[in-house]
Order: sequence, then C-alpha cells, then structure tokens
Amino acid sequence: MNDTIVILMILVPALPLAAAILAAVLGPRILRSRAHWPVVAAFAASFLCSLSLLVHAWRQPPGYERVESLWVWADIEGAYAQRHSPGGADQADSAGVMRHFTLDVTLRIDTLTGVMLATVTFISLLVAIYSVGYMRGDPGYWRFFAYIGLFVFSMTMLVSVSNFLLLFVFWEAVGVCSYLLIGFWYRKPAAAAAGTKAFLVNRIGDFGFMLGVFLIWTTYGTLNYHDTAAGWPSVSARAGTERPVFVDLGRAAAGEPGEVVGVLSVKRESVGGWRGGGVGLAICLLLLLGACGKSAQFPLHVWLPDAMEGPTPVSALIHAATMVTAGVYMIARCAPLFVASPDGLLVVAGVGTFTALLAASIALTQFDLKRVLAYSTISQLGYMFLGLGTGTLAGMSAGMFHLFTHAFFKALLFLGAGSVMHAMGNVIDMRRFGGLRRRLPHTYRTFLVGCLALAGIIPLSGFWSKDSVLFSVHARAHEMQVHWARRQAAEERVSSGTAGSLPAAGHAARGEVEAGSGMSDGELARAARLYAWMYYGALLTAFLTAFYAFRALFLTFFGDERLPGEAADHGHESPGVMVWPLAILAFFAACVGLAFDQSWLNGTHPFAEVLADTPSLSGAVARTETLGSFHFSVAVISTICAVAGALLASCFYLGDRRAAAWFQAVMDFRVLKSADDGARIARVGQQPWIQAIDRAARRVGLPWLTRLAGDLLIFTMLVITAPLLLIRFVSPYRLSFGKFFLDETYSLLVVRPLRGLAWLLDAVDRWLVDGLVDLVGQLPSRLGALLRTMQTGLVPFYAMAMILGGLIMLLTMNQQFSEQVMLYLHRLLGGMTP
Amino acid sequence: MNDVNEAALLHNYLLVGMVLFVIGMTGFLIRRNLIVMFLCVEMMLQGISLSLAAWGRYHNDWGGQMMILFIIAVASCEAAIALTLVLVVSRRTGNLDVAVWQDLREEGELPFVDRELPEETTERPQSPVLPPAGRQPDVDEDELMHRSHV
Repeated sequence: MNDTIVILMILVPALPLAAAILAAVLGPRILRSRAHWPVVAAFAASFLCSLSLLVHAWRQPPGYERVESLWVWADIEGAYAQRHSPGGADQADSAGVMRHFTLDVTLRIDTLTGVMLATVTFISLLVAIYSVGYMRGDPGYWRFFAYIGLFVFSMTMLVSVSNFLLLFVFWEAVGVCSYLLIGFWYRKPAAAAAGTKAFLVNRIGDFGFMLGVFLIWTTYGTLNYHDTAAGWPSVSARAGTERPVFVDLGRAAAGEPGEVVGVLSVKRESVGGWRGGGVGLAICLLLLLGACGKSAQFPLHVWLPDAMEGPTPVSALIHAATMVTAGVYMIARCAPLFVASPDGLLVVAGVGTFTALLAASIALTQFDLKRVLAYSTISQLGYMFLGLGTGTLAGMSAGMFHLFTHAFFKALLFLGAGSVMHAMGNVIDMRRFGGLRRRLPHTYRTFLVGCLALAGIIPLSGFWSKDSVLFSVHARAHEMQVHWARRQAAEERVSSGTAGSLPAAGHAARGEVEAGSGMSDGELARAARLYAWMYYGALLTAFLTAFYAFRALFLTFFGDERLPGEAADHGHESPGVMVWPLAILAFFAACVGLAFDQSWLNGTHPFAEVLADTPSLSGAVARTETLGSFHFSVAVISTICAVAGALLASCFYLGDRRAAAWFQAVMDFRVLKSADDGARIARVGQQPWIQAIDRAARRVGLPWLTRLAGDLLIFTMLVITAPLLLIRFVSPYRLSFGKFFLDETYSLLVVRPLRGLAWLLDAVDRWLVDGLVDLVGQLPSRLGALLRTMQTGLVPFYAMAMILGGLIMLLTMNQQFSEQVMLYLHRLLGGMTP
Repeated sequence: MNDVNEAALLHNYLLVGMVLFVIGMTGFLIRRNLIVMFLCVEMMLQGISLSLAAWGRYHNDWGGQMMILFIIAVASCEAAIALTLVLVVSRRTGNLDVAVWQDLREEGELPFVDRELPEETTERPQSPVLPPAGRQPDVDEDELMHRSHV
C-alpha cells in the first residue's frame, strides 16, 4: 500500500513531464496536430493519481503526512549556520555553528498538497481539452502542449516538495513556464513585452522569497518542512560510515537524539516553537513579498493584466486557476511561521484587502473582457490573502477554500471569454460586440454560472467560499475585540484591587488559546480595529465584484446583437471540445461550494476538516470553535452586497445605457468641465448687468476700476479652476480606467531611472571600457602601419636596406672592427691628402 | 723587407677587391635590369674571391684559393638558377625591369610606377647629325628619363 502511494506521488509530476518531453520531441514532425494526445492523457492519469492520493490522505488519521526522499541533491558537511537559542536574543546568537546541510529531493503528501494536486490537475485537464479546440491550426500547436505539460509538472512539484529550496526551484520553473506561455505568440511585440514584464516583476518577488529562505536557514538551521534524522539520508550515512554531526538547534527534547526538526514540523513546538519578533516578522514579510509577486498582490500585481496577451487557455490555467495560487499555497503551507508573527499576519490581510479593493475598482471600468477577468483574479486572490491573514484555522481553510472554488469559476469565466474571442475573431473589446446571447447559447449559459459564482450569489460555489472568508475575518475581529475587552476588565479589576485571586491578570492569561495572546493591549486594539476595517473593505469588494461581473456579462451577452468585422464568417458557437469543458466547469462552479461547505446544514465544513488534517496547520494554528460554523448575518449582509451590485449593473447595462453614461459623467466630474471653458467665462463679461455697471463706471470716469475688478475676478476664477482641473484628471472614473496610473508611476519611479542608469552604463561600457580594449588591440596594427610603408616590393630597396643594415650591425656591434675601419679610412684619406 | 712587400701586395689586392665589390654593389643597387643586376652580383663575388686569394697568398695558405673554388661552384649553380628565373620572368612579362615584380609589397602600399613610357616611335631614331652651325641636337628628355633600354 505504502509503495503504491510513493509510486502515485512520483507519477503525478512525472507523467506531465514525460508528456511534455514527448510532445516536444515528437510534436513538430510526427504528432503534429495530434500533439495534444500525450499531454491530455498524462493530465488525466495525473488527475486520477492525485485524486487517489487525496482520498488516501483524507482517510488517514489527522496529522498524516507521508514524506518520501527520492535522492540526495546536495550534501555539504559543515555548512555554516547561525546559532539560535530559542530563549531569545543573547550573546549566543553571535556564535556560529557548523551544520550539516543535506538537500534531498523529497516529495510529500498531506491533505493540503492533495487538495492542491487535485485542483491543479483537474483544471489543467479541462483546459488542455479545451485548448485542443482553441489552439487548433496554430503553428505552435505542439509547443503549446509541451509548455503546459512542463507547467503542470512544475506546479505539481511545487506543491509536492518538502523543502524550501526545492519550493523555490519549482517556484522559478513555474515562472519560466508562465513567461514562455505569455510570450507564446512571441512575434507579437505586446506579448513579448508582457512576458518580459511578468518575468521581471516576479523577479522582485522571487528576490524577497530567496532572502526569506536564507533567513529560514539561518534561523531554523534546516530547510526541510519535515523532520529528518541528522545526517540522514546523506550518502555517508547510507554507506554505513556514521559521522558525528553537530546538531544542537534541532535536537528535539522529545524526539530522537540527533534528529533535525523540520521548519514546519509539529515537533517544532517542543523545541522552542516558531520564531516571532523581528526575525519572524522579517521572514514573514520576505515570504509575503515572494507570494505577492507570484500571486499578483498589490505592489507587484501589474504583470497579471498584461499577461492576458497569452493564449486564453493559458490565462485560464496559469493566471487564474493554478499558478497564481502558488503564493496562497505557500503562505498556507508556512502558516506556522506567519501565526508566530501577528504583525506579519496583519500585513498579509492588509495587502489582501487593499489589493482586492484596488483591483475590483479597476475592473469596474475596463472594456477588455479578459482584462476585467484578470483584475477580478487579482481581487479574488486578495480575498484569499485576507482569509490567510486572519491566522485562524477557519481563515486559512477559508482562503484555501476560496482558492479551490475560484479555480473552477475563474477557469470557467476565462474559457468562456476565450470562446467569445474564438467566435469574434480574436476581438475582446466589449464595446465592439454585444448581445451574443443567441449566437453563443452554451457559452452564455456557462458564463452566467461563472458570473453568479464570482459575484457570490447563493448557492453557487463563490458564495460559500467568500462567505467563509468574510466570516473568518469577522470572527477574528470580533474575537480580538472580546479579548481586549476582557483584558480591560481584568486590568480594571487589578487596579481596583478586587482581583487578588488573579495574579498578573490580563497579560498572563495564556492558558487558553486566545486571539492575540502575546500582544500588548494597544496592539490588540489596533489589530481588532484593522480586522474590522478589512471586513468592511471585503464587503465593499463583494459589492464591486458583483457589479463588474454582471457588467461584463451584460455588455457581452445582452443588448442589441453587434458583431465586429473580424467575426464575419465564424460568429458561431465553439466546437464541442471547447463547450464540454465549459459545461463540466460550470457544473463544478455551481456545486463544489454546496458540496464542501455544509455549515449551514449541519455545521460541518468538509473542506476545512480535510485541510485541518495537514500537520503544519493542525499543529500550529489555533483551532477555534468558528471552524464549520455558519454565521447567518454575515451571509445575509454579503448576499445583500452582491445582489445590490448585480442589480445596479442590470440598471446600468440592461436596456438603454443612459444611466451608465450619466453615472460615468458624474464620476468623471464632467460638471467641472464648464469651469475651465474659456468661451463661457468670456461670455460672462457680455452679461447686460455687467455691461451696465461698466458703462456707469465709465460715465463717472473710473474705467480702471471696472477693469481692475474684472482682472481680480479672472484671477480668482483661475485660482479656483486650477485645482478643479487637477481634480478632473484624478476623477474616480479616470483613476479606475487608468488603473490608478500605477503602470505610469512605476514607469516614472522605477523603469525610467533604471533605463537611464542602463543607458549610462552602456555608454561607459561602450566608450570607456571598450575604447580601452580597442586601443590595446589597435596598438600593434598602428605600430605596424609605421613600418608598412617600407614593404614596397622593390628589390633594390630591400638590397639597400640589407646592406645598410649589415653595415650598421658591423659598425655598432663589433667595436674592434669599426675602429679598424675608421683607422683604415683615416689612413687612406690621410695618405691621399697629405 | 719581404714582409713589407707582402703587406703592400696584400693591400693592393684588397684595394682592387674592394673596388670590384663596391662597383658590383653599387650596380646592384642602381640598376633595374635583372641581367645587369645578376652580373653585378657576379662582380661582387669576384671582388670577394680576389681578396680571398690575396689573403691566401699573405698567409701562405691554400685555404683562400679553395674557398674561391667553392665560390665558383656555388656561383655557377646560382647563375644557372638565376638565369632560368630571369628567363621565365622575361617570358611572362616581356620585361626585365625588376620594378615590374612588386607583388610582395604590403597591402595598401601603392606600387612604384614609372612615369608613362613615351610612345615608341615607329621610325628608327635617326642618328644625330651635327647641324652645320654646330648646334646640339634636340634631346628628348622623357626618353632619357626612362631609359627604355635599361
């Protein structure tokens, strides 16, 4: 049985890799338009393996994990690591210890990994089937399937590995696949630029992630998630020559002597727990930076909308359903590290909320259907971060649950958008088509399901997962408030001296697991307030989400039927190979929420229960009573928000769109346009009563007075209108339509200065360094040029040179000879001229 | 007495040898006709041979004369090869001017070019006849410069 599990664990990533290699090798010549066969078959098999793994992990007792080491990648004796004493920062911190660094390629299975594997492979399978129709006839057909095979390999490895360094490796591999697929149509400059942008923006996040991994190594002395025997499974240990490995940090008090306790292991609790304070916060923030890059959170989200340049199945697979969830997965996996640092959690939640709001408000005004969905993805990822940022088991599982449902409905929406694109001849601008309801009936129906799910309308999947997130945030805020109030009461009691029975009350009340234990009163109050604000932000986002989802739906499928010119001959429904995945996804998007969240029915939340079996989650995250409970008022409020958004969208975009135009004008401050209208201002001077005053003043003999008054008036007008003009440029509509000008800001603050620096360095390199090198290179040839004129090819000249040279040699080198010659010449001449 | 004579004799021979050598060298340098240059080389060899013979006489030693025999042998071989080459050269270009063979010059270096040869007059140049008044005949300056019969 166990061996079967290991084989399945290996097969899940290995099959897509093999299929990718097969498609790449045989694709261009032999398989051609059948290049999808190995990939689709491998994905299907991989999905079955993942499913059986998940079921296996589910059936095991809670805390089950299976770790299988495949081979040793690196084995370094005496790697340096900083000593860390769990007690805190003291002089022992400065002393370094030599540590055995073993890096083995290890796969793991627990419920978190199982859920991720099943989701990834299932969505990939459907997207691959869909791509068979969508990519048909593309010259890079085999290339596409090779890439997505490679991508699924990387992603499954990313969630399977049990080591931070390997996580980083596949983190990068996923990034590479994303780059390849965004720039799939590399002849299109926009696609190539978008690929580069995604890669570069991700690089910033990866840098943070890398630093985070380094910090984990110096802090915890190992990079493995799991426990390992010291020196095992190093080669030397296997060969039987046991070497003493100096391990003090990971020595488990309860565990085996010489055992290295993994970073995320349950046993970590017994050796001092996870590090909080400055180092813990730094680890959290650096990991969060990496997650922000991969999952497109606020400062680093700019790459995702541009990534829509890739083929639509790629957008569905990578930039909606699977790859961007790597950051969410990573934070869920590192939950103990984050829970140890409440400030880090607060930052995660804050970033998530802010991104959710920001992206949702941008999505309101975009006209590119895929771009609306891209911003929606960013926004929904923000929800997931918010859920994770609560730090409770309910919140963590809610974030993961939202990831799970979002994968279905966002893949569905993207594939629907792809189906629209397919029919509209690659036109995706919603202003150019409309009323496609009758032409694309299946696409319309499935898209509707996706929109309902995205908007969070009961009882579709999006409702349940979003509600879980909202509820967990609400519960967290509430819990913290209650705790704070309790502390206040306790302190009052202490100060009034009535609570002698409560020694060191308030702060020391740590026996029970309470929210925010270990935080000061001020911090607790602040965190409670922030979480409450985040809750309201998330509610607002829910409203905005419903609005833009239905706006996209109405713009695309309702109203008068309009087709762009490009769709002239193929404005019809997509083929079955594209429609069936849509239908399956629509089914799941409608049902998974209901199936996995039965809290309203009997207070169970199967998804959360499954996730809670993950050792790192169950070991470190406080299991509060909120898990699996259903809060009726939160559900009602969020439903009201969503329905309000949907209704507003239907008011604006169903029927004539005058209301929408009016609202747009209001939001664009069109009223202010008259303020800076020059002709209008000039006309003011023509008013009869002003003219009358002017005439009267002239009659009195004070024409300068009216002129002065007029000048003063104009000056005042200018002073008033200048800010108004500025305000018009930052009107809500413009901000939203211009994506808050973040791209422009980055261009100004980062890209331009860097480009200037690059130009400078290029000039220095080209002119200074290259100049010096060229100078050295030219020196011989310049010197040779001086002598070159002597090579005339004339024999008499050579003879002359030879004779003169011989003479000079004789005269200079043989002094005796030269003296004799001089003497002889002297005698000869002397004899001649006495 | 004898010694003085011997020394004077050697001195004279060496002077003659030197004159021969210098004449040959000068000729080799200033003439451009291959055959004349070859002959000049021969003359230089003769100057050396003469001085060898003189030294051999002075030292009362046959070595010098043996060296001469060697020189003659080598010179005859050299003459055979050189004349063959000269023959080939003249057959290929119809010219014995050494300046025609400038192919070994450096790339980019302009070849040495004589001024344009004047048109060969068809009629045979008439032998100058002193005019009655004893005036000097007209001499073509170009003709003199170019030495068509080098």
